[in-house]
Amino acid sequence: MGRKFKTSYQQDSALFQNLWVKSWLAIAIVVLCVLPFVLKPYELSIMNGIGIAVIGALGLNLLTGYTGQISLCHGALVGIGAYSTALLSANLGLHFLVSLPLSGLMAAALGLIVGVPSLRLKGLYLALGTLAFGFIFEYVILHWNLTQGEMGLAVPRIQFASFVVETERHFYFLILITAALATLAAKNIARSKIGRCFVAICDRDIAAEAMGISLTKYKIMAFGISAFYAGLAGCLLAHYQQWIVPGNFDLMLSISYIAMIIMGGLGTVLGSILGAGLITLIPHGIVYLTDAFKDVWPGLSGLIVSFKLGVFGLVIVGTLLFEPRGLFGIYQRIKVYWKTWPFKY
Amino acid sequence: MKTRILIGGLALLSALLFVANGAWAGQVRGVTDTEVKIACLVDLSGPGKYGGPPIADAFRTYVAWINDTGGIHGRKINLIVEDNGILPNTTMIAARKVLLKDEVFALAFNLGSAGSSAILPLCEQHQAVLMPHGANKEFFIPGNKWVFVPHTVQYSMASRAVEYILETNPKARIGMIYQDDGFGKEGLDGARAAAAYMGSQIVQVAPYRTGTIDFSSHMSAMRDAKVDWIVLWTYLPQSAAIIKQKTVMNWDVKLISNNTTGVPPLFALAGAEADGYMLVTPYAPGWMDLPGIIRIKDLTKKYGDYEKTLGNPSYPDYLYMAGWGYIEAFVQGLRMAGRDLTPESIVTGLERVRDFDMGGVSPNISFSPDSHVSSFSSLVLRANGEKGRFEIIDPIKEPKTPIQ
Repeated sequence: MGRKFKTSYQQDSALFQNLWVKSWLAIAIVVLCVLPFVLKPYELSIMNGIGIAVIGALGLNLLTGYTGQISLCHGALVGIGAYSTALLSANLGLHFLVSLPLSGLMAAALGLIVGVPSLRLKGLYLALGTLAFGFIFEYVILHWNLTQGEMGLAVPRIQFASFVVETERHFYFLILITAALATLAAKNIARSKIGRCFVAICDRDIAAEAMGISLTKYKIMAFGISAFYAGLAGCLLAHYQQWIVPGNFDLMLSISYIAMIIMGGLGTVLGSILGAGLITLIPHGIVYLTDAFKDVWPGLSGLIVSFKLGVFGLVIVGTLLFEPRGLFGIYQRIKVYWKTWPFKY
Repeated sequence: MKTRILIGGLALLSALLFVANGAWAGQVRGVTDTEVKIACLVDLSGPGKYGGPPIADAFRTYVAWINDTGGIHGRKINLIVEDNGILPNTTMIAARKVLLKDEVFALAFNLGSAGSSAILPLCEQHQAVLMPHGANKEFFIPGNKWVFVPHTVQYSMASRAVEYILETNPKARIGMIYQDDGFGKEGLDGARAAAAYMGSQIVQVAPYRTGTIDFSSHMSAMRDAKVDWIVLWTYLPQSAAIIKQKTVMNWDVKLISNNTTGVPPLFALAGAEADGYMLVTPYAPGWMDLPGIIRIKDLTKKYGDYEKTLGNPSYPDYLYMAGWGYIEAFVQGLRMAGRDLTPESIVTGLERVRDFDMGGVSPNISFSPDSHVSSFSSLVLRANGEKGRFEIIDPIKEPKTPIQ
C-alpha cells in the first residue's frame, strides 16, 4: 500500500519518488555517459548545444513557469555571463572554476536589478521593461571599448592543470556535469519553500501576499536565480565557442528560450530539458532532412531555406494548438497510458 | 544520503570518461585521392540574402569548370553551399555542420564579418582555412595563419573614398552615414584616418541601426553641418533610401559609398536619381569588355546559367565576380599546395600565390607569409543614370593612408 500511495509529506516531495524513477535515471546516466563514444563530433556538438540550452531554460522556467514573471531579456543575461567570463579569464587570468560562479553571480546581480520593476509591472508591461534591458545590454556591448563592439572577444580555453578542454567530447562531459548539477538544484528549489512561494505567486500574487509571502523578496529572488542560471549558460557557451560577439545574445535568443519552456512545459523541470532539446534540434533536424533527400530531391534544400523560419514557427504554433502543456504534457499522457493499461482511465 | 551517493557516482563516472581522450585523427579531413570537399557559407535566408545566391552561383560555375577539366592534381572539388543566415548564431550552426558533419577541408567563403569572427576559433581548432568576406582589421592585423582575404578590406576602401574626395576637392566638408556595426565602424575608422592623413576631418557622423530605411533625420543632420560630400557605409537598400531622401530634400550633395552597393539593382530601387552616385570597389563593372570579365562570361555560358546571371542586366554582377575571385584564389592555393594536400600545405600553397592575373576584373591576387590580404587597392565608379550602369572614373589605386 505504502508503495502505491504517498502517505507522508516526505514521500510526496521526494526527489526520486520510486524505483521506476531511479531505474530510468540510472539508465539515462549510463546512456549519457556512453553517448560521446558512439556519436560523431557533429552530433556531439548538437548535444553540447542542448546541454547549454538546458541550463538557460531551467533558469527561465523557474522565473516564468514557476513564478509567472515574463522576461524578454534572458538572452542578454546569458550574454552577461559570457562577457563576464571572457573578461575575467582573459584580462584577469581567472580559472574557469572561479569565473563560472562569478559569471553566474554577475548575471544574478544584474538580474536582481531587472527584477525591481517586476514589483510594479505585470504582464505585457513587464515584458516591455525586460525587453528594454535587453536593448540596453546590446547597446553597451556594441559601444563599450572593453567589449570590442561587434567583432567580439576571444575566450581562453579551459585548462585543468595540463589537461586542456578542447574537443567536443571534453566539452560534452563538462557541460553534462554542469547541466546535471543545475537540474538537481532546480529540482530542489522547486520542492523547497522557495519553490512553493514561487508557485503561490504565479497562481495569485495577492493571495500569496495575504498568506504572508513577501512578493518583493521572492519575485526579486526568482529574477536573481533565473539570471544566475543564464550566467552559467553564458559562461559555458563562451568557453565552448571561444569567441563571442553581441549577435550571439540578441532578442532571438530570448525568444528561443521562451519557446523552449513553452514547448517543453511551463513550470516543470523536465519540460525545460525537453524544450531545450526540441528547439536546439529544429535547425539541425532541417539539416538532416535536406541531406537525406539531397539525391532524390535536390531542390528541397533551396525550398527549405526559403521556409526555414516558417518551419520553426509552424512547430511552435502546432505545439500550442495541439498540446498546450508542451512536451511534458505528452510525456504525462504517455505515462498515464502505460500506468493504467489496458484500461483507458 | 542516497542522493549524495548518486551525485558522487555520476561525478566519478564522468570524471573517468572525461579523462579518456578520444582520437578522431586519421586521414586529412575532406580530402580523398579523388576529391577535396570545400564549403561556401552564404546568406540565403537572413538580412543579407540578396548577396548569397550570386556568390553561390559563381562558386558552382567555377567548380563545374574545374571538375570538367580534370580537377586539381587529380582531385575533383565537392562543393557544399550552406546557408549561414549572416548572423553569428546561424553562421556558427552552418560552420559546425560543414566542419563536423560534412567534414570539409576548408571554408573558401563566409559572408558576414561578425559571423566570421564567431567561427574563427572553430576553424583554428579544426585547422581549416577560412576566407571571410567583409574582413575587418581583426582578421589581418596582426593576421591569422588560417585566414586569407582575397578582397580589398573595408578600411582601405573607406580611406580610398575620402582620399578621392579630398584630391578632387581639398576644401570639401565631409559627413558620414554608417551602419552601427563592425562593417560600418570599420568604414568610419578608415574614413577618419584618411581625413586626418590628408589634413582634414569628418565634420559630421550619423550612425543607423541595421535595417533602417528612414534617413530623414540623418540627412537633416548632414545638411545642418553644411557638408558637401557624404560617405555612406551602408548596404544597398539604405543607399537607395538615402538617394531618394536627397531628392526629396532637393539637395545637391555628393554621395560616395562602398562595394556592396555597386550592383545594377540600385537603379531599380533608386531609378534615374541614382545618377552621379559614386562608390569605391575592387571590382570592375560587369558590362566592361575586360579580358577577365570576358573569360568569366565565357565560362559562365558553358558551365553556368548565363541568362539568369551575367546575361541578366539586373543581376548583381559585382557579387558574382567577388565570389569568383574567392574560389579562384582558393583553387590557386590548391594548385600551389601540390598533390600532398594537408591543412599545412594549403596554407603554404596560398602563401605562394603571387600576382595571379585577374584580367583587370579586380587587383591581381597575391598572398605571402607576411600578408594574407590580397590587396588594399580599389577603383572609383560613378553611376550613369541614363544608361543604368556604373562607369570607372578613377583607376585601381591603393590609398596612401597607413592602416592604424
